[in-house]
Amino acid sequence: MAIVDISHPTPSPTPRPEPVSFRGGQLVGLFLLAVAAFAAAFYFDHAIPVIAAAAIAALVPRQHGWTVRGPIALMAALLAVFVVRMWPGAAAATEAAPAKVSEVGHLLSWIVWLPIVGAVAVLFIPRQSHTTLRWTTVLVMLGTLALSLPLLRVSMGRTYHFNEDVLWLPRFGIHYHLAVDGISLWLIILTVVITPIATYASFGPIQTRIKDWCFALLLLEGGMLGSFLALDLFVFYIFWELMLIPMYVMIGVWGGANRIRSALKFFIYTMSGSVLMLGAILYVAYAYAQANGGVPSFDYFELQRLMLPRHVQMWLWAAFTLAFVIKVPMFPVHTWLPDAHTEAPTAGSVLLAAVMLKMGTYGYLRFSMGLFPEASSEFAANLAGVAVLGGIIYGALCAWKQEDVKRLIAYSSVAHLGYVMLGLFAMTSASIEGGVLQMVNHGVSTGMLFLLFGVIYDRRHTRHIDDFGGLAKPMPVYAALFVVATLASVGLPGTNGFIGEFMVITGTATSTHLGRFAGVQAMGAAMGVVLGAIYMLMVVQKMFFGPITHKENKRLPDVTARELVSLAPLAMLIFVVGLFPNIFLSQIKGAAERVASDFEARIETNPAPKFYEGPIKLAPRRPDAPKEH
Amino acid sequence: MLSFLPPPNDYVIIAVILGMPLLGAFVNGIWGNRLGKRAVRLMALAAVGASFVASLVAFMSLAQLSEQEKGAHVKLVWNAWEWMHTTGGQGATVPIEVKFSIDQLSGVMMLIVTGVGFLIHLYATSYMEKDRSYARFFAYLNLFIFAMLVLILGDNLPLLFVGWEGVGLCSYLLIGFWYENPANAAAGKKAFIANRIGDFGLLCAMFLLVQYTGALDWNGIANGATSLVHPGEAYRVHVWPLGGGHYEGFLHFLQPDKPYTISAATAVGLMLLLGCSGKSAQIPLYVWLPDAMAGPTPVSALIHAATMVTAGIYLICRLSFVFVLSPFTMMMIAVAGALTALLAATIAVVQNDIKKVLAYSTISQLGFMFLGVGVGAFTAGFFHVFTHAFFKACLFLCAGSVIHAMHARVHDDDKAQDIRNMGGLRKWLPLTHWTFAAATAAIIGLPFTSGFFSKDEILYRAFVDRTVNPENGVGMLKKLGTFSPPLWIGPVLYAMAVLAATLTAFYMCRLYFLTFWGDFKGWTVGRPSLLARHEITAPHAPDHVDDDDHDAGHVHHEDPAKPGYAPHESPWQMTIPLIILAAFSLFAGVLNPGFGILKERPMDHWLEPVFKAASEKAVIFAHGNDASWAEHLEWPLALGGIGAFAIGTTLAWWVYVSKRGEPAKRLAQSQPGLYRLLLDKWRIDELYEATVIAAVDSLAETAAAVDKSLVDGILARFTSLVVAASGTILRAFQNGVVHVYAAMMVVGLAVTGWFFAVPHPNATVVDAGHDDYVVTAAPGVGYAYRWDADGDGKPEKQDFGSDTTLKVHVEPGKSQTVNLQVRNSFGLVRTKTIQVARPQEPTSSL
Repeated sequence: MAIVDISHPTPSPTPRPEPVSFRGGQLVGLFLLAVAAFAAAFYFDHAIPVIAAAAIAALVPRQHGWTVRGPIALMAALLAVFVVRMWPGAAAATEAAPAKVSEVGHLLSWIVWLPIVGAVAVLFIPRQSHTTLRWTTVLVMLGTLALSLPLLRVSMGRTYHFNEDVLWLPRFGIHYHLAVDGISLWLIILTVVITPIATYASFGPIQTRIKDWCFALLLLEGGMLGSFLALDLFVFYIFWELMLIPMYVMIGVWGGANRIRSALKFFIYTMSGSVLMLGAILYVAYAYAQANGGVPSFDYFELQRLMLPRHVQMWLWAAFTLAFVIKVPMFPVHTWLPDAHTEAPTAGSVLLAAVMLKMGTYGYLRFSMGLFPEASSEFAANLAGVAVLGGIIYGALCAWKQEDVKRLIAYSSVAHLGYVMLGLFAMTSASIEGGVLQMVNHGVSTGMLFLLFGVIYDRRHTRHIDDFGGLAKPMPVYAALFVVATLASVGLPGTNGFIGEFMVITGTATSTHLGRFAGVQAMGAAMGVVLGAIYMLMVVQKMFFGPITHKENKRLPDVTARELVSLAPLAMLIFVVGLFPNIFLSQIKGAAERVASDFEARIETNPAPKFYEGPIKLAPRRPDAPKEH
Repeated sequence: MLSFLPPPNDYVIIAVILGMPLLGAFVNGIWGNRLGKRAVRLMALAAVGASFVASLVAFMSLAQLSEQEKGAHVKLVWNAWEWMHTTGGQGATVPIEVKFSIDQLSGVMMLIVTGVGFLIHLYATSYMEKDRSYARFFAYLNLFIFAMLVLILGDNLPLLFVGWEGVGLCSYLLIGFWYENPANAAAGKKAFIANRIGDFGLLCAMFLLVQYTGALDWNGIANGATSLVHPGEAYRVHVWPLGGGHYEGFLHFLQPDKPYTISAATAVGLMLLLGCSGKSAQIPLYVWLPDAMAGPTPVSALIHAATMVTAGIYLICRLSFVFVLSPFTMMMIAVAGALTALLAATIAVVQNDIKKVLAYSTISQLGFMFLGVGVGAFTAGFFHVFTHAFFKACLFLCAGSVIHAMHARVHDDDKAQDIRNMGGLRKWLPLTHWTFAAATAAIIGLPFTSGFFSKDEILYRAFVDRTVNPENGVGMLKKLGTFSPPLWIGPVLYAMAVLAATLTAFYMCRLYFLTFWGDFKGWTVGRPSLLARHEITAPHAPDHVDDDDHDAGHVHHEDPAKPGYAPHESPWQMTIPLIILAAFSLFAGVLNPGFGILKERPMDHWLEPVFKAASEKAVIFAHGNDASWAEHLEWPLALGGIGAFAIGTTLAWWVYVSKRGEPAKRLAQSQPGLYRLLLDKWRIDELYEATVIAAVDSLAETAAAVDKSLVDGILARFTSLVVAASGTILRAFQNGVVHVYAAMMVVGLAVTGWFFAVPHPNATVVDAGHDDYVVTAAPGVGYAYRWDADGDGKPEKQDFGSDTTLKVHVEPGKSQTVNLQVRNSFGLVRTKTIQVARPQEPTSSL
């Protein structure tokens, strides 16, 4: 990680003496650590976390004490445990003596409702007790994180797990249905990891209306988790809208100068899509009722059974897809994103980029592709063209010409999500896997970029790229971390960005759904790699290298303890995903194959005209769907 | 012997080879400044040294294994873990592993990288002594060695790509090492982006390989390579129309009579060539390398001369069996190489910066290597990589030594590198002078030095070899008429190469004479720059330290009135590497001498199994298949190389020693335009600036403007305008005047009343089977119905009844008109005409 010299001492009026030796206490600490590491080395598997913790703790710059080193070491150890336990070979080894996780409880409900209950609980804490409010929020979020860890102990395969299906409103066929599969698993993990990080990072810059802030964050987390887990369209819609409001409030209350306008734009854009989707949901349920003798259903797996003729399916698909495409966002409905990002507070930007945009890609994969395979297939080639030209290339070109750093990162999101959407449109197993992984990757690296930009924004209160320059000198650690995030963003092999892009590109090239343009589109996607380097390196060069042109920048303090603790896990994740992507892919693979084969199955049954033509009727339930309630 | 070593299929020593430099980078990067310079030095040298020793051990195991297997293509393999996977052409899973292997080719390359790398590290410990960011420098340098080793040892293309990008990153960081100067940072960025354009090619090549061969590891690609030249039209890559589409309508003029296709092998080859020309600085992507000289001199020696820039040639050698499947690509490699060799040599002739001359010389030499591998002489091309690593590293390190000495005198980065300020340095720098002379002798092809043998082999093979597809004229391929290079291409390439070699001899001798011979001209340069320097430094803050100031001490106790220090020889850490490299430059030729000097050429023999598949299959001698014809030509063709050496050297001697540079000055004065053009490097940078970069730039400007005005304008602003405007219009009706409201209410009531007073007939038609259709009338309050089933305008019954349905029988292919009359309670009647049509029965298509 020594990308940029981190060994310059922070500038201080008197030059700091160069201590070559360690102090006594440190020596004892190091000795104990070494003993611990060696003792643990006898049980090699168990030693890895200790070694990782020690190594990462040693990476922390000198000026930070053990209050920083401790948490970071702990996170490193946890990540190492994660890598060791999730290793694809290791799973097979433990299967011999399975400590089978019980899937019957209400784990998913706990995960979804804990933040929401926490949000309500926060309302009862006095407005003045800032510390209590903050720590309650973070603890609830960490509790959610802890609750979602058992999900990792299940080998996902092709099916759904932790299925929770309660008939809620029998008259309308509305189920309270939550389940997790290989696709939503990592998005859940991403959400529960990123939210506490963003929350913790926000405790510096956000100093007003703390109570409202904490309430909004918890509600947002609950909404996001609910949307990823809900498999009943009605419930999904409730969570989808629930998530919108806290973000609207966050931009509108704690945002920058133009916050009201941006918040409104964000809300109207998203809302106009979701209202169409609501109409489509109601129609799908109505159509189901028609085919099922008057009993409607909003359950995802039941609605998957619907065989719809072309003219119906196309409109429904279009309504769903428009809602998702606005959320992603794809060209030409992307212009709300730069505005929302620039005005949102740092934590808002992080959550918006890292998680909320994924709602669009996830929704397309789950609902548009799952419910309307023929329509998705018919428009895949055209939309892939939009993803490449309007997303990957156009987004990158626009990013290059931005003078506002946050706008630039927002446009880079448009480009990166172009890869995700291209992967989904290509519909091969590898490209879907790559697309899902790229969702996680974008969450990690763009989330980190926004966090990093928040650091400098708190110091300088400007977003203009020309107001910086030469920052590597006063802020070496910051510069090093920024370069790491940049490299992940441009997809340098060894970082996470490369894996997703590579799988999407190769998966696209071999796709049969894109027709003869598969090769051309893969080439266009590869072109995005060049453009990515151009605009991201431009930022790095203008912000960090060259002479210091503004005297305000000369004495900027380097990253603080809080900032370092919030950035460290993301920096580590970049390399964990980049080096050991199979940990993630092995869980996604089954679900991606299921989606691809469901597709093939639907389209093979109707060979010549791809669409089913005839009255609306019900097909048998998909083989991989959970048992009916 | 060596029985204690791990087995070849799980050769964990590779982990040591790779791990040591990584450890060095890690330790120096993180704790460097805390450890102090001595520890940093120890760590850096130990890391690369240990890696070199491990490489030697591995090489010996390989040699032993190769002996056991009787010269077959052998590999030492270490499979670390499974990295990821993707899907191939038929939906098959393609696993991509983190797997490293050493074979005969990567073994040699690995020794070059760690060996030369170690010498340059040793050199740098002294060269960078006074630099503030000593630890950071060695962290980057160790990281580079690691990345380069990943590139060489990776057993599949994505893993090679990790190293490929890794060395690019290190190059970026090291070019911009002194990042406070914006020019350096910009040069780093330029290098990274030029390389990224190449990487685009590599990425495209990867997905094509996945699609066609279903594999990305070397063995898998080799096994599936034949599918790259599958003759079927569907298996070829459609270049125009894009992807094999069809243009219709107003785009029809774009549709060619016959779609233009190329074989997948050509597509993969050209894409790889793009990648290789980015990394190895060939036309059209060579422009980054001269700027890369902004980095510290050891970096130029290690990365931009000896190792990284040869990665492109390494990749071509590695995938030789793919390249030879496409004679067109092979020809393009050779042509690009020859053109680059010539172009760079012409630029090098007039440059005055010692490092710039060497940079263009590197580009030119890389061109020779491309020429060699391009005509199918893979061993010859690779042997030039091998010898070039020694003599060019030596030249750069000598240049560093010279700059080091000059800097002590001149204290100005640019002036210390200007050969016009040098001269006569052999007096003060004897060791540097002799080693520079030795390396120059090698590069200009003094007979029996290493460069002579390697370059001569390339010239000779360029004349006699050419690649045609072996299956050309056989079976399916006959119909296809695959490309084969014309016969005249060999002599033309040979002539270009000889010309480039002549220029090489001239400019290298020019450099040598101007630097080391004649009188020292630096005495007069020192003063003004020294003063200027003080003026520049004065306004800076007191904590400002110039990283490049190797001999900052001299500045402070120098008296401006006195002539100042004389240049001085460098310390032993710098001269020892020079001597070793110079020795290799002179004598490494024994590993592959031509002209039948040795019965069996060691390098040829060693690499034979690697290139067997490629050279057996596709390289034939230009004149039929007559090997003896080619053998007879070896001596006559060598005259070209020797002549190039003789003419270039003599000319340089005459111009710069006998006549003290006068003829050159006169020529420059008589041809000012040409001279400026050459000095400005043919203005290729400006050309790119004006065309490609300007185009992309304006495209981006347009995109940003369109996004702001059109996309956002129409979707957001225009929509909100429409909403606001309709609000304004509707607001006009809400004027609060009760009379108006009452009037509107009356109008509304009248319209609604009329609507309800009139019946609205409507009906749906449902197919009831057996050619029957049921027409159902829509219900309404107080409605009565009357049907006219045959559509003649006369209803069957005169009375209106409550019969809402009507059954109609229609023959296939016929249609019938039905009239429906509806009367409501007010007695008003309205009629609706309904067409009931039945489609023709489809004739059975079974």
